[in-house]
Amino acid sequence: MRILLAEDDPMLGDGLRAGLRQLGFQVDWVRDGVAAERELATGDYTAAVLDLGLPLKDGLEVLQGVRGRRIATPVLILTARDGVPDRIRGLDLGADDYVVKPVDLHELGARLRSLVRRAHGQTQDVLRSGALLLNPAARSITLNGEVVALSTREFDLLHALMLNAGRVMSREQLEQQLYSWGYEIDSNAIEVHIHHLRRKLFPEVVQTVRGIGYTVPRLKDST
Amino acid sequence: MRPRSLQARLLAMAMGLVVVVWLGVAYVTWVSARHELDELLDGHLAQAAALLVVQQIEAEDSDEVADAPSLHKYAPRVAFQVFHGGHLVMRSANAGIAPMTNKALGFATERHSDGGEWRVFSTRGTEHDVRVYVGEQTASRREILRAVLLSMLLPMMFALPALAVLLWWAVRKGLDPMRQLGEVLGHRRPQALEPVALHNMPSEMRPMVNALNGLLARIESMVMAERRFTADAAHELRTPIAAIRAQAQVALGAGSDVAQRDHALQYTLAGCDRATRLVEQLLTLARLETASAASAASVAPVNLSMVTRGVAAELAPTAMARHQSLELEADAPVLVTGDDVLIGVMVRNLIDNAMRYSPDGARVLVVVKSEAGQPLLRVEDGGPGMTDQELARLGERFYRVIGNEQSGSGLGWSIVKRLSDVFGTTTQVARSSALGGLAVEVRWPHR
Repeated sequence: MRILLAEDDPMLGDGLRAGLRQLGFQVDWVRDGVAAERELATGDYTAAVLDLGLPLKDGLEVLQGVRGRRIATPVLILTARDGVPDRIRGLDLGADDYVVKPVDLHELGARLRSLVRRAHGQTQDVLRSGALLLNPAARSITLNGEVVALSTREFDLLHALMLNAGRVMSREQLEQQLYSWGYEIDSNAIEVHIHHLRRKLFPEVVQTVRGIGYTVPRLKDST
Repeated sequence: MRPRSLQARLLAMAMGLVVVVWLGVAYVTWVSARHELDELLDGHLAQAAALLVVQQIEAEDSDEVADAPSLHKYAPRVAFQVFHGGHLVMRSANAGIAPMTNKALGFATERHSDGGEWRVFSTRGTEHDVRVYVGEQTASRREILRAVLLSMLLPMMFALPALAVLLWWAVRKGLDPMRQLGEVLGHRRPQALEPVALHNMPSEMRPMVNALNGLLARIESMVMAERRFTADAAHELRTPIAAIRAQAQVALGAGSDVAQRDHALQYTLAGCDRATRLVEQLLTLARLETASAASAASVAPVNLSMVTRGVAAELAPTAMARHQSLELEADAPVLVTGDDVLIGVMVRNLIDNAMRYSPDGARVLVVVKSEAGQPLLRVEDGGPGMTDQELARLGERFYRVIGNEQSGSGLGWSIVKRLSDVFGTTTQVARSSALGGLAVEVRWPHR
């Protein structure tokens, strides 16, 4: 999951980025409101963590601008403003969650996963496709009850596809979901990861839609 | 004793005035009634005397004294005597044998041996040796006057309590707006600071309510400032704590990644330093706000050069660590008034700010001198300086220049500003012509 982190405090931003990475998130960090709005507008992020007291543009304005452009990326406000009117305003302006600093990193991760799950219409914490189970919190995969070891990228790729089960994802969309800034992406990286997934799980786990992209079919018993 | 209740006071004063006026009216009426009564009754006496004189002409001469019968129960109060040639010839039953008065003609008031006081009219008959005296007890006049006075005062005795009740009601009714104001204020929630509505307010109460509203407005602005301060302080305190927490968790989760753990621990320590500095600044500010200006601005002269040199010496190692050159020009002693510790706090904040917001290797120049008799402290730096807009916002609590990487809280300026108020100094911020950064100048008033 690729997360946009908008936080102006260098020490806190550094800590959040490192911590969320440890939890398996891909994190891009911006330090002002203008950059936050610009990045959110691309729609490439699975979710965003937004500070309110940002330089150049206040977090609430950023949120308003993004929602005004019909971008539905889940946004978690992380702020020191704990007043009830602030919370109400933040949520009314389109935030999906409101957390007051300081926050436990694990809780922040859980809240982000919850936001992403709900944004994709999922009701349970574990994603299911037939006999394949994906647990985002534990970052584990089981097939027919047996744990399958996947690399970080493979897991993230499968996660992105299962979140969007039944929808066809283009190679570019998958790349945007998988890689934060500063990574050189090989042109066939996605194909390589898909190949590995099919080998480690089963060939039909990911289906190719020729000329468009890839999909994990939405099965009857998937939730 | 002063009545505590306004209503009781108004009532007492109104009732007192009513009684005084009523008594005054009664007195005037009594005086004028007495005058009229005297005139009327004296006229009666004279009339009676005239009748006796006329009758005397027809009376036969006799040695016998004719005693007139008493015809009415009031008759004993009236008496007459007729003398002819020195002899009493006719008298009323209650009259003595001696003439009632020595006065030959006109009215006289005589006290008789029996204790009664008599008003006597004496006159001569047509014959010169006839003398007629007609007298009346003055007690009867006093009775009439007493009756007149009573008729004035008795209704007052009954009217006064009724009037008191009516006045009490009227005063109470008149003071209603005050009681209503009291109720309105009494029922307010403690947080409600909006002004009291002035419409329907009697003009006498407007100044009071206006003053009250002014006070409420001042309290509200103070409360707002406090609230803003609390919100800002919460933000400034929560962010470093959140950073410390996040970095500590990263260090815990780093596992075998030693570089990441060390980095996170370094940041954890730096976050602690930052929080410590912030707490110190907040405490300084809180102390300043409680310290009265009188105790802060002591009269003892302080050598500003010496204080500044001490502060600069303390800060020099920090400057050297960042390869900044901290220079001090304070050759002659410059005396100012103020508490040396507080002056030290101010100087420290100024130099610390200059160093903090200047890049590594920059110059910071501190000058202490006396210019035209005015003590002056100037701190210049080679930092990025400030735009006019930023200069205008300087000194707002927690205001920090955008994009600043330094971990300042913006509280330093609040402290300098507050101390400047205490010392009565003027603080000017401008662009440094020598170093290109910020130049802060503090001028003390003439000693």
